[in-house]
Amino acid sequence: MQQNNNNPIPISLHNTHVKLLAFDFLTLTPPSSPDYPFTRKSIPITRAETLGTIVLRDHKPAKFLRFAIDDGTGCIPCILWLNHMTSPHLARRRSPQDLCLLADAAARSAEMVKVGVVARVRGKVTGFKGGVQITVTDVFVERDPNAEILHWIECVNLAKNCYNLVNVPSSSSGSVTLK
Amino acid sequence: MALFEAKSSALVTLQDLRPSSPFFKQGKSLRIIGTLQEYSLETGLATVIDGSDILRVSIEQLKDLKFQVGSVYQFIGELLIQSDNKAILQARVGRNVDGIDLNLYHQSLLLLRQFQANHLNNSAT
Repeated sequence: MQQNNNNPIPISLHNTHVKLLAFDFLTLTPPSSPDYPFTRKSIPITRAETLGTIVLRDHKPAKFLRFAIDDGTGCIPCILWLNHMTSPHLARRRSPQDLCLLADAAARSAEMVKVGVVARVRGKVTGFKGGVQITVTDVFVERDPNAEILHWIECVNLAKNCYNLVNVPSSSSGSVTLK
Repeated sequence: MALFEAKSSALVTLQDLRPSSPFFKQGKSLRIIGTLQEYSLETGLATVIDGSDILRVSIEQLKDLKFQVGSVYQFIGELLIQSDNKAILQARVGRNVDGIDLNLYHQSLLLLRQFQANHLNNSAT
């Protein structure tokens, strides 16, 4: 993962669950259009992973579960959709079997989300009412008391040695390295 | 959506909670870690220590948490500064973190603060 600034990482972060601290996540730049992703230093960020203490929970059965994760640097709003069996939008795009599996997985995730637990959450980076949030795909409850510390160190390391060095594709000169 | 305008809690050590500290403010949201020295379910108060530093914590809202003297706990809540300039953390979230590496925790906290300060400075320029 170690790279120097003369050797930019020739990859993008598209579809990577980018590990960001909350203060970093909350300052992602919103897209000019809803069809485009949020960006960090001009790098598109479509998915994210966070780890922290669940401090808020708002459950609307069969609709959604909203919760907030506090990692000590900020609070990330998260939404877990629970409307797989009632959404006409999803019914047009997924088979009934797929929707059953997705609904079961979401229900299992929802059961894990309790105020006070430390959870690792992955999902898509989405916008809502001018802010940024995670539309949740996975929830994993962490029982290791050192998990948060490891997450902080990983986030700092990845930001310094990977995310800040990813090159931005450019139509004219190939790439530009961000420092 | 007001519900999700959650207060972010600042990561602090008990050493940070001296009256001259920028964290020592009425209503400030904080996250602390300390060893439980004593507690009373009757008064809803607990005392946590970290080295020679002590903090009182109101545990009235933490109905589901089991307390054990000598265990390490993490609390998130708001600081209530009393007229005698003594502080109580009104905990809204708590958990047992027995097994945590406190030395690594304190080192990582310094690293995190440094990274955050650098990041914000770079964003501002």
